Amino acid sequence: MTDSVKTRLIKIVSETLEVPVEEIKPEHRFVEDLDAESIQSIELMAAFEEEFDIEMDEDEAMEVKTVGEAIEFVEKCIREQK
Amino acid sequence: MKKYELKNLAEPNLMEDIFDYDLAPKITFDGPIIEVIDGEEVRFDPGDVMKRDIVITDTTFRDGQQARRPYSVEQCVTLFKLLSRLSGPRGVIRQSEFFLYSEKDREVVEKCRALGARFPEITGWIRANKGDFKHVKRMELKETGLLTSSSDYHIYNKMKTDRAGAFKKYIEVVEAAVEAEVRPRCHLEDVTRADIGGFVMPFVQKLAEIADQVPEELKPKVRLCDTMGFGISYPGAALPRSVPKLIHLITTEGGIPPERLEWHGHNDFHKAHINAATAWLYGCNAANTTLIGFGERTGNPPLEGAVFEYIALKGSLCGIDTLAITEIAQYLRDECRMDIPANYPFVGLKFNATSAGIHADGLSSDERIYNIFNTGKLLGRPPHVTINDKSGIDGVALWVNNFLGLTGDRKISKIKMAKIGRWVVDQYDKEGRITSISDEEMAEQVKKYFPEQYAKVAGE
Repeated sequence: MTDSVKTRLIKIVSETLEVPVEEIKPEHRFVEDLDAESIQSIELMAAFEEEFDIEMDEDEAMEVKTVGEAIEFVEKCIREQK
Repeated sequence: MKKYELKNLAEPNLMEDIFDYDLAPKITFDGPIIEVIDGEEVRFDPGDVMKRDIVITDTTFRDGQQARRPYSVEQCVTLFKLLSRLSGPRGVIRQSEFFLYSEKDREVVEKCRALGARFPEITGWIRANKGDFKHVKRMELKETGLLTSSSDYHIYNKMKTDRAGAFKKYIEVVEAAVEAEVRPRCHLEDVTRADIGGFVMPFVQKLAEIADQVPEELKPKVRLCDTMGFGISYPGAALPRSVPKLIHLITTEGGIPPERLEWHGHNDFHKAHINAATAWLYGCNAANTTLIGFGERTGNPPLEGAVFEYIALKGSLCGIDTLAITEIAQYLRDECRMDIPANYPFVGLKFNATSAGIHADGLSSDERIYNIFNTGKLLGRPPHVTINDKSGIDGVALWVNNFLGLTGDRKISKIKMAKIGRWVVDQYDKEGRITSISDEEMAEQVKKYFPEQYAKVAGE
């Protein structure tokens, strides 16, 4: 888990879900812990794609439940799409 | 009690022998229907419809016009042409009846006949007056309907006569028709409110006697008119409302065979369609219908519903061109200014649309999950979604991909729909919208966020 990806991703989560950066932890679940609504989950994925210039597989992206899983998934996409 | 064990399967059982996606789902039976009539068990074989020449007849231009402003001559001719296409080479839409009283009525008949279509055959409709035969003769029609009302409501309270008087008058007109070499089709008006044993059966038996003395093409037909929609389809229901018992009595003791018997229903109790189908099952060959069910008051059995019932019972398209149904509906909407409710089966603008996101997700993975049959193939109308606050991103994604004609790997990912999804949510959460989002508004969003793909579809 690189700091660069982690920091940038948490900043997106913070802005999208309107939760302070310092309150977001890797183990937090988007829906249950951070109160993400359905449309916000999609907006997060769209924002990750734009920020990291990646294409995410829709089905795999929908399986991501926590902030930590999102970081790992984005890193995987970056590695594969370099 | 039989114990049922769970049978887990590696592959789903989609029961495609019944739910053949390219047909209306088949109606299958696994035994006889038993009715108790006059204290005796009578067995009916519903599978008999596979063998009998059951048909649909049309009264769009007669009963159908009694409930709306009249169609123009051109509209009648166009609709008749479409009915003929729908009917197919086997003549599933076997006959269509027309008024004959005005110059315009007769012009319509002449122009429809000039099309040279084999089906539907054109028949007339007149009141039970001997003088009215001149119209039938002049139009050289082989068959005409005659109003032969059968209930005491009509005989005593409307016609101001008695049963004997009505009986005599009707038989005189029937004999006049036969003499004029026109086949009479007796419309037993209000039969589901009539004294079956005391008037209907004596009259029908007299018709059977006349039939015995004339050539096949002149033998009287009987149309059972459920004028007020009182007919009941349930086994065990009593006369005069029981459709099964009426059909059975008329075809057995009445001496009128299935091929000379027709059911004409009304929808006052939401039973028009099922009563017509029930009449088919119990031994009446013809079900009388109108396009979109438009007819007096609450209307008649809808013709397009009867078409799919027919396909379901026969298990085959039987040469019917179902795509004509969509063209007919479009013509009625655009040219005849007919209001067809959006949720009306088979032809309403949203009959196969879903707004629920969870249904859209199902449709997206396998359209059979939420589509009655292959509506794209049979009606030229694939299932689609309408967007509202319940649609979710799945609904938005399905709408956009359908609009852009993208399938399989070419579909745009839901993730790319985030901005349109947000716009939809804000319409309801921030703008306070309470109506569905129109297709035009959705197209605008596609143009904004997917301009290249939009340009391809719009031909820009």
